[in-house]
Amino acid sequence: MSTGNELARDAATVETHAVDQPDDSVSPATLALIDAYLGDHPGGAERLIPVLHRVQEELGYLPHPVIKAIAERLGISPIQAYGVVSFYHFFTTVPRGRYQLKVCMGTACFVRNANSVLESIRDTIGLEVGGVTKDRLFSLEQVRCLGACGLAPAMMVNSEVHGHLTRTAVRKLLQGLRAKARQKRAAGEADGE
Amino acid sequence: MSEIAPVAAPLDRRALAELRVRLADGLHARAGEATAKAAPRELLVCAGGACISCHSIAVADELESALAAGGLAGEVRVVRVGCMGLCEAGPLVVVSPDGVYYQKVDREGARRIVAEHLGAGRVVRDLELAWDSPDGRRLTGREVPFFAQQVKIALRNCGVIDPAAIGEYVARDGYLALEKALFELSADDVVAALKESGLRGRGGAGFPSGMKWQFVREAPGDEKFAVCNGDEGDPGAFMDRSLLEGDPHSVIEGMTIAGRVTGAHRGFVYVRAEYPLAIERLDNALAAARAAGLLGEDILGSGFAFDIEIRIGAGAFVCGEETALLRSIEGKRGTPQPRPPFPAQHGLWGKPTLINNVETWASVSPILLRGAKWFAAIGTGRSKGTKVFALAGAIRNTGLVEVPMGISLRTIVEEIGGGIPNQRRFKAAQSGGPSGGCIPAAAADVAIDYESLQELGSIMGSGGLIILDDHTCMVELARFFLEFLVEESCGKCPPCRIGTRVMLNLLERITKGEAVPEDLDTLEALGRHIQRTSLCGLGQTAPNAVLSTLRHFRAEYDAHVLEGRCPAGQCKALLTYTIAAESCSGCALCAKACPSGAITGEIKHVHTIAQDLCIHCGACLSVCPTDAVEAV
Repeated sequence: MSTGNELARDAATVETHAVDQPDDSVSPATLALIDAYLGDHPGGAERLIPVLHRVQEELGYLPHPVIKAIAERLGISPIQAYGVVSFYHFFTTVPRGRYQLKVCMGTACFVRNANSVLESIRDTIGLEVGGVTKDRLFSLEQVRCLGACGLAPAMMVNSEVHGHLTRTAVRKLLQGLRAKARQKRAAGEADGE
Repeated sequence: MSEIAPVAAPLDRRALAELRVRLADGLHARAGEATAKAAPRELLVCAGGACISCHSIAVADELESALAAGGLAGEVRVVRVGCMGLCEAGPLVVVSPDGVYYQKVDREGARRIVAEHLGAGRVVRDLELAWDSPDGRRLTGREVPFFAQQVKIALRNCGVIDPAAIGEYVARDGYLALEKALFELSADDVVAALKESGLRGRGGAGFPSGMKWQFVREAPGDEKFAVCNGDEGDPGAFMDRSLLEGDPHSVIEGMTIAGRVTGAHRGFVYVRAEYPLAIERLDNALAAARAAGLLGEDILGSGFAFDIEIRIGAGAFVCGEETALLRSIEGKRGTPQPRPPFPAQHGLWGKPTLINNVETWASVSPILLRGAKWFAAIGTGRSKGTKVFALAGAIRNTGLVEVPMGISLRTIVEEIGGGIPNQRRFKAAQSGGPSGGCIPAAAADVAIDYESLQELGSIMGSGGLIILDDHTCMVELARFFLEFLVEESCGKCPPCRIGTRVMLNLLERITKGEAVPEDLDTLEALGRHIQRTSLCGLGQTAPNAVLSTLRHFRAEYDAHVLEGRCPAGQCKALLTYTIAAESCSGCALCAKACPSGAITGEIKHVHTIAQDLCIHCGACLSVCPTDAVEAV
């Protein structure tokens, strides 16, 4: 039996894979980034995790061809590199939303009803853990303790921590972000004309 | 005190000694210690992770502009210090040397502190951190039990120094222990001191540190490594984070001393990716130590070379296990290896490796400076010194505390923690994260040390301490930890991979009211098997949460299984939902939310729930604006 999270994650993976059939090319800029990092940090295959961090920081995720390109440069097999990517939760082969919601499910937040935060996100924008909204505005992950236990229950939106969350606070926060994005889009379209 | 110039050229021993003398008084004053002469006035702003989330940096900026506006900019300095510990009251601002603590300071509060405290010379009473003592006195500043009950060794500089100023660390006798280890003590002296001090690994298992150092020192090999385990994965734990953020040099110094003693020339600090601020501050501290000649070739002219690199984790709980962590540094999947061989003989790239937890590394220098006897005099028979705990959950004062070993849970909860909020009752404390267990309130007077916690079915762990009140369902809590461990199990060995999954399934049946009495026996037997047969610490401790709650809270399990009832009112499937007629406003939100159409009623009239249609999802409870839905 799978937990709800795993099911949600599987569903999200299937959905996004269908949308983005990866082609095999890696942009020259990404290759340059990889080569520059490896040039600055001499060494062997132990550089795999740091270089993956660097690339994901830039691209937001790790497409399969990029993993392959990194493996070739480190002299290891692509499957070995992919094995590392799939082992660590931090790495993702799926693009994330513009607003990455990370709901803390640490014990302190759990005790202070972090479940209600997840429920409120689901009720407001219909997002389950591991999923991305169709407009790629939001993606949702649960994390194990942000270390902000004093603010429990807490959630990170990109790099900003929001604490003492209630159902209403979550709903208002998400609606605010969506309105902001809509305004930006409207402003962008106006500029385009 | 004047601004400390960034250290550009390598310092020699004389320059270090001068820094210590020049800055000592100011720093003593900040820590509330007696000083030789009057210390300058400073405003200390907590720049720990939690306070930053509450906008403490904006408060610091506001203090600076208010000082400038009031013509005090040259006289009073704002210092951004590490975590002060009392996260609940953040952002915290301390006026030094007055020793006045201000809590929950916002921008307006910052302006008032400058205008009223510094300008008019009167304490801003309504912002001051103050507790009422049982005898009716108003306790303030360091008298507040949260601070008064603590003994700070590992956290000696957290909340006192600016972690970005290496000079301030030096002035708190920083790198003096390294000088001793380089020029005065032999490697055997250092090992002997650690052994005599009784220091044990603070990462959880409590292995005697001095012995570990000796094993690596005596291990044959031309290349050795020192590793700091900062992969603090336990949910509810933030000791390592706060230490790395608040006093990174204490870890660097401890590791460099270990390099000298064991013959290692390279060190690695493995930090979680979730802690960007800790990584940034550690990185800055490493650069500062290199620039000052305290890392690199020929440290302080001793001829000894040592340097440290940061390795960032990637979100795998199992990497807190030492052999998995070492694989991860090598760039591999973090799967544990069977021990023996231990890392002391066969560690990173097969070489002898000394691996210690953040807090253990930070405890090394004080032991060498103040003596093994001083350290050994604190604590209990077999657990010496202090332990840092991250206090969280159903507790008034969430935060970071360092207390002597042997303190009682009751003192931590009731005095330091300020008790349980919302008029609820203290039910249990969960220690050691997912690997640990629950200590029931009935055992609150037991002196806490490695052995006593083990006897209670829990472990010391790295120091996460989650306080639970009577609204916490122990079965649900055990299920929460099991779910965590099922996801985090690396999958290498079957007892952990399959066993924890089966245990989780059983727990889910219990929380849904589908279990039979035999399931409890199966849980217990399975738990014992997993403990005995798993490959690494993750699996060996995975059943602890279930076994300890089964042992101390058997009646709660029985209520779920035999009576189909959740005494804490948490397990949704076991609750009966009703609408209280006197509170119902007839808004019909619940009827709209109900997925099974069990709720009926006219608008503006009382609604009712048809129990035969109810699927116990709790949707009505969460949408009701007047709290009319009751669940029992």
